[in-house]
Amino acid sequence: MNSTIKKDVEPKDVQHGIWNKETISEIDYKAGAGKHRIRGCGATRYMPTFDDLMVLPSQLSRMSLDTYREDCDTRTVLGKRTATRPLVIETPIMIAGMSYGALSKEAKIALAKATALTGTVISNGEGGLLPEELENSYRQSVQILPSRFGFSKRNIEAADMLEFLVGIGAKPGLSGHLMGNKITKEIAEFRQLPVGIDLHSHPRHGDAFGADDLVVKMEQLRELTHGEVPIFMKIAAGRVRDDVKIAVKVGVDGIILDGAQGGTGAAPVMATRHLGIPTMPALVQAVRTLEEMGVKDEVSLIVSGGVTDGADLAKVIAIGADAVAIGTGAMVAMGCRVCLRCHTGKCGFGIGTQNPEFRKRLDIDGAAERVANYIKAMTAEAVLLAKAAGKTRLKNLEREDLRSITLEACAMTGIPLVGSNYVFGERFGFES
Amino acid sequence: MEHINAADLSTSELNKKIIQGLKAGGEVSIQNPHSMHNIATGLSRPGTVTIQGSTGFYTGGFLEGSTVIIEGNAGWYVGDNMMDGELLIRKNTGCNAGTYLSGGTVVIYGSTGSRVGYGMKGGTIIVCGSVGAWAGQMTLGGKLIVLGKLGADIGESMYRGAIFVRDKDAEKKLGSNVFLDHIQAGEARELEELFKRYGIDAKSEAFQVIRPLPSGRHSYALFNPELKPELAQKMRS
Repeated sequence: MNSTIKKDVEPKDVQHGIWNKETISEIDYKAGAGKHRIRGCGATRYMPTFDDLMVLPSQLSRMSLDTYREDCDTRTVLGKRTATRPLVIETPIMIAGMSYGALSKEAKIALAKATALTGTVISNGEGGLLPEELENSYRQSVQILPSRFGFSKRNIEAADMLEFLVGIGAKPGLSGHLMGNKITKEIAEFRQLPVGIDLHSHPRHGDAFGADDLVVKMEQLRELTHGEVPIFMKIAAGRVRDDVKIAVKVGVDGIILDGAQGGTGAAPVMATRHLGIPTMPALVQAVRTLEEMGVKDEVSLIVSGGVTDGADLAKVIAIGADAVAIGTGAMVAMGCRVCLRCHTGKCGFGIGTQNPEFRKRLDIDGAAERVANYIKAMTAEAVLLAKAAGKTRLKNLEREDLRSITLEACAMTGIPLVGSNYVFGERFGFES
Repeated sequence: MEHINAADLSTSELNKKIIQGLKAGGEVSIQNPHSMHNIATGLSRPGTVTIQGSTGFYTGGFLEGSTVIIEGNAGWYVGDNMMDGELLIRKNTGCNAGTYLSGGTVVIYGSTGSRVGYGMKGGTIIVCGSVGAWAGQMTLGGKLIVLGKLGADIGESMYRGAIFVRDKDAEKKLGSNVFLDHIQAGEARELEELFKRYGIDAKSEAFQVIRPLPSGRHSYALFNPELKPELAQKMRS
């Protein structure tokens, strides 16, 4: 007897291509609203990551360090090109610039306290320097943004490091954006703004139009700080080679390079998805340019955008950066679940909100400890890899300690493909 | 009065000498400025610095409390980020004068270029001559007073503050998000006092005021792209 039951089976077509649910919902939104979409957090698309690089362990060719009993130095000096008081931090992980406004006061204080627990630096972000942040931070970086909201000479005087901000990875080439529902009375006073407006701030520095003016502007900032404080320029990854050359020529002590994976409180989805280039190739291009200019040892390089763990840190340093900046990662440590709704101001964890009820939910000291633990663990992870590679200093990691596991990473970084000495693309310090 | 010859000095050396001069006597005169940049940066000592000639970029940037007089022309960004004090320019200036001003008074006795008072947050800027385009763009506070002709798009995207103008064509030159209003009695009195103090021959009644729209919400071209299908009709033979 034939037991097979004959049935008409309708094949199931699953749309993996262009017309997937996300595309359709995007079009539905635009068809209804007639405008582009704003969203928090940053890019959601796939971008190449440092996971495509592997660290080579020391075996017979070199000796590894004792993981548990021998030291690996993580102290980092930043901005020693011309500044007479360079920044010294205990671990090469800084807290990236996130504004009081995008974040709650409690979140900002927690982040500042975390820097005091770990000996590192926090950047204030747009919209002024919160006194409670300054009181609690170990070292304070102060951003000079095109908007200059809440900015004055007092901020410069308080700085251990200055960041002249040109752009951020999440929305390079765009002005700052803070949704009206986050501009409470307190934030408005702080930023010298009317309450509740959607803030679309300045796209360019009104006091430095172009590279030539910036040379003079740098001289002004040196005058103001008596040449003591390191001055960095924060640029979003785009035409990295040209921008790095200009920044060096302008006379900065260091560069903060923010890749396209960088986060933000609110940005047009178009910008997060399509503007700029990812962190890894941007870093490679920046290092290559600094080396070609012969200033690699004097100009500090900090990278940000998608840095999540100690492996990222170790690889970034091996490629040639001096430090990383973490933003989203630090928020996650405080409890953020990356729901991408920062722009609504309704963060139930009390992090990306100004709602007094939600803010009460964030335990400042608990959050500070978690961020500090995250920074310590990340440092320990990087040190673990560095020791396995035989380094007594984290900074001694070098490109020769890396290999690419994908053709894509190999072509993008100039680091040879695993199991070979082949590089598909521009070479990057490896002899053929 | 201390006299400083700036001819062979670097910016840093000159600024140090200015501070020493103010400490010694409260009045300093600078000869041969040769359009040097960054003169009197962040000067916060009481006293008067008179520059006998023209200056380059950023003169009196971050100035805080001193009086600086430029007896010639000033380059771009004069008085940028100024906090307090007085900055008097006897002739003309380049663009972006008084950018991000947060306090004090800038008086330009001649004309100025574009974007005077860009992003200013407080203080007063008086321009006796004409101004270029985008004067007072993105102003967050303070007073900008223009006696001469206006350029295009004045007060574009102001959030707060007031721009006092007496150009009869002001209505045609407004930026977006602003409107032209009558001057109030208190404002008129302030203007009269300022004119008297700085020796400016003008009457407050001739002035109108440009203010930000009270809605508090700004409209931008990006959010409402103006597509004009009627202008793209098929060519008719």
